[in-house]
Amino acid sequence: MLAVHQDVINIVQAKFLSAEIVKSIHLNVSALDETYNDDNRILALVEYNKTFALFVLISARKKPISISDLCIETVIPIDEYFSCDTEPIEESQSHIIFIITSKKIKLQFKIEIGIESSNFASEVIRSKEVSLYNPPVFVWLDKYIGTMSQLNRNSDLGEQSDTPIIRQRITQGTTAINRESMLKYQLKLKEPEFTEKQEFTIFVGTWNVNGQPPSVSLRPWLCYDESPPDLYAIGFQEIDLSKEAFLFNDTPREAEWQKYVMEGMHPKAKYRLVALARLVGMQLAVMINSQHYPYVKNVSYDTVGTGLLGKMAVWQFGWSYITPPSASVNCHLAAHVEEFERRNQDYKDINARMNFKRNPIAIKDHEQVYWLGDLNYRITDLTTSQVKTLVARKELNKLLKADQLNQQKERGNVLLDYTEGDIKFQPTYKYDLNTDIFDTSEKARPPAWTDRILWRGKGIYQVEYRSHMDMRISDHKPVSSLFKSEISVVDPLKFRKIHEDLLKKMDKYENEYLPQVTVDQTEVKYDLVKFREPQTREIIIANTGMVPAEFEFIKKLDETSYCKDWLRIIPYCGSINPGETCEVKFEVTLETSLQNIYDILVLHLKGGKDMFITVSGDCQRSCFTSSIAALCRINVPIMQLSEEEWRLAENNESGVLYSVPREIWLMVDHLYRYAGTVQAVAESLLLFLSYTKDPVIPFELHDTCIAAASNFQNCRQIILQRVPDLHRNVFLYICMFLQELSKYSNDNGYDARTLPLYSVTSCSGIRYVTRSRKTAGASRILSIISS
Amino acid sequence: MARDYDHLFKLLIIGDSGVGKSSLLLRFSDNTFTGSYITTIGVDFKIKTVHINGQKVKLQIWDTAGQERFRTITSTYYRGTHGVIVVYDVTNGESFANVKRWLHEIEQNCDLVNKVLVGNKNDTPERKVVLTEDAQRFADTMNIQLFETSAKDNINVEEMFMAITRLVLDSKLEMMKRQNVTQNDTVNLKQKNKPGKKNKCC
Repeated sequence: MLAVHQDVINIVQAKFLSAEIVKSIHLNVSALDETYNDDNRILALVEYNKTFALFVLISARKKPISISDLCIETVIPIDEYFSCDTEPIEESQSHIIFIITSKKIKLQFKIEIGIESSNFASEVIRSKEVSLYNPPVFVWLDKYIGTMSQLNRNSDLGEQSDTPIIRQRITQGTTAINRESMLKYQLKLKEPEFTEKQEFTIFVGTWNVNGQPPSVSLRPWLCYDESPPDLYAIGFQEIDLSKEAFLFNDTPREAEWQKYVMEGMHPKAKYRLVALARLVGMQLAVMINSQHYPYVKNVSYDTVGTGLLGKMAVWQFGWSYITPPSASVNCHLAAHVEEFERRNQDYKDINARMNFKRNPIAIKDHEQVYWLGDLNYRITDLTTSQVKTLVARKELNKLLKADQLNQQKERGNVLLDYTEGDIKFQPTYKYDLNTDIFDTSEKARPPAWTDRILWRGKGIYQVEYRSHMDMRISDHKPVSSLFKSEISVVDPLKFRKIHEDLLKKMDKYENEYLPQVTVDQTEVKYDLVKFREPQTREIIIANTGMVPAEFEFIKKLDETSYCKDWLRIIPYCGSINPGETCEVKFEVTLETSLQNIYDILVLHLKGGKDMFITVSGDCQRSCFTSSIAALCRINVPIMQLSEEEWRLAENNESGVLYSVPREIWLMVDHLYRYAGTVQAVAESLLLFLSYTKDPVIPFELHDTCIAAASNFQNCRQIILQRVPDLHRNVFLYICMFLQELSKYSNDNGYDARTLPLYSVTSCSGIRYVTRSRKTAGASRILSIISS
Repeated sequence: MARDYDHLFKLLIIGDSGVGKSSLLLRFSDNTFTGSYITTIGVDFKIKTVHINGQKVKLQIWDTAGQERFRTITSTYYRGTHGVIVVYDVTNGESFANVKRWLHEIEQNCDLVNKVLVGNKNDTPERKVVLTEDAQRFADTMNIQLFETSAKDNINVEEMFMAITRLVLDSKLEMMKRQNVTQNDTVNLKQKNKPGKKNKCC
């Protein structure tokens, strides 16, 4: 098939350097993309120094005629990230989707099912396998990136990209490596190790029955040989010429003839039907000696109609006792002397279109092929009487020279690699019914060897090739051939062993290709953690695997974030190439009152394992994050308290009770005394008010306060009646201080409006609410009260 | 899509820290053993394909951290598991005593799951403290199959993994069979309904 495109390959090749060899191409490809709908793309598989790349070329015409017709659309290196797959198209029998996935890009193409596509796909898969064994280098592709059409220029070429491949598929049991095709390929390589050649006798028969129902035993034909064959492949043509058979592809004759076949087979052995296929009037049945039956595997068949009225039809069986399978093809090609070209074309069509559904390989890819049928090739350039005379004189050689099939075959037009045995029987067509006399009707058709059996493949030896003159119910005589054929028989034990070994190998492979990282520590410990004094620790994640590792800290079940709010992880996700490392910073900032910090972080590798990293540290007690009530109960700096003293303070059981916390008093006092150089203390005061364990105006009053903000009396009432004593003290204390401050507004530039706003936006009263309105409301309260 | 297996199952290995969970997995998947102890801090998995009754079964076997402090996190990995392997150390009585807790953990986190009980490190008789009879009695009362293995000497490891896989496969086939039966029932019901409808029409 490649040869058909040789001219195009030459044109495509001209696009590349001579060391860059175009291995295979696929024409008429359309991109499955909303922007394009033509099928003027060409896929080309190009090799350079054992590395492969797939090129998508756009052709100016359906079949390019010069190099200027082609431009490179995309270059996809065939590397470890590369994979290809196919998907059926629901509404289409003739096309499939060919999917190419690379590091950053996924392309889908619509291509026609056929030899071209299966050849191309198998070449691509093979190149992928080659690339797995030799780590490919793709520098040679760089020069083509510039020539790519704008659209895709940023799309691939691994090195510069930072988006890793998606490996989740591994956990679903599928990988970037196509295990199934790897397995097939490896098994094929190892085939000699688990198969042995056995000789089988195969009886191949063909008969055009001219629409006649079966009425005589088929034994004279099927049991012609002394010993029973191992396998029968029996083809009929024209079992039913009725309109119904043609229109509905259904005929009672199928069962009738099959019954006669089953009854007509050799009595010295028992046979079982392997498969039976029919298309209109053609039927092909394969029967096997029942002792072999259990070993028959992967039987599939297909039928192809090639022409009007179902006259020309073909089908085929693959059977594999045996890997790879053999096939037999029964066909009935176009009739009439002058139609030999048509017959040649039918033959080509059959080859091109035959597609075993369960085991999609082309006819030519079968180990052994038997081609039988009414091929309909005639004897040319001789009159009917000349032919009859030569037959009567038994000068068959002269006739065979005039045989169209021989002539066409010699010219290489049909059945090129097929062999036919010497014909020693007289033409099998056309006879008067129930006689051995050639056509005596008005048409007086010249006799011809229309019914033939050919073969292709190694290890086939034809024992005999003959016609059966005593079968007289049709205008054709049946033909049969007995073969002794070597068939590779699978030793199930050896096969299993090798198969299991391969699976083991691939498991190993898959395990090795799981993302792997190590971390230099799984326990991150901090020194004493102090209020608003960030501490940073680093861990180093090293990619020790063979593929890029995509990591992410993920949240545990029932948690809202991947870490607690006192921790920041930078970066919390990323990708590390094999052999490289990534530093991850863990920054802890304490802004609440905690005795210690402790958390287990889950470091997840996409498509791989999870690691647990424990973060811990003790926290220092701080007045900033303590409650106003507790602070009112201590008379020394908080750091000087023993655990017990602090516990008493927190439980309101200490002997001390100030009206406002010492810390506030000290700071306000400082501000009062040293006005002008107080920036640091002022900020501390604001911080203090922002971080107290409970805000000055308790959380539960926030909404009430906002509702009351426009009304001075209401605000006053809330402050005086509903805010707890110590909190009210703090509030009034701060307000009085602000009031005092506003007296000097001429000096300090603050007035009654800006001052409280300034302090409130630092959240003295109301915290943890969305800024906008609510803070404004709080500032109103303050300003009202302080005025 | 091309698949090179007939079934895909997730198995989970749990048990106290240091009983040899990772070693069992390593023995089964790579047929190797390392004497040095590296505690698992996290969860990891390996792929292994096995044949059972001519069917290719792909296993994804998860190995979990056994340390107490990770228990709440590891329990989240039970989801979607088809089979659980509960491991104790035959030379460590406490690890056997904790099996009950691990079984409870399974009950809490999985619906219907196949289990096997595994006494690992069964290679030095003089150090063995969990007697086979006691373990067997316990396994019988819990209705679990017991295996005594040694990842170090490669004793019974393959058998144990094959047994749990077989259990899981049988459960799946059983369930499929039952579903088929139910489907058939549905068809039958419909067929019964049909004449009724006809009557209405007439």
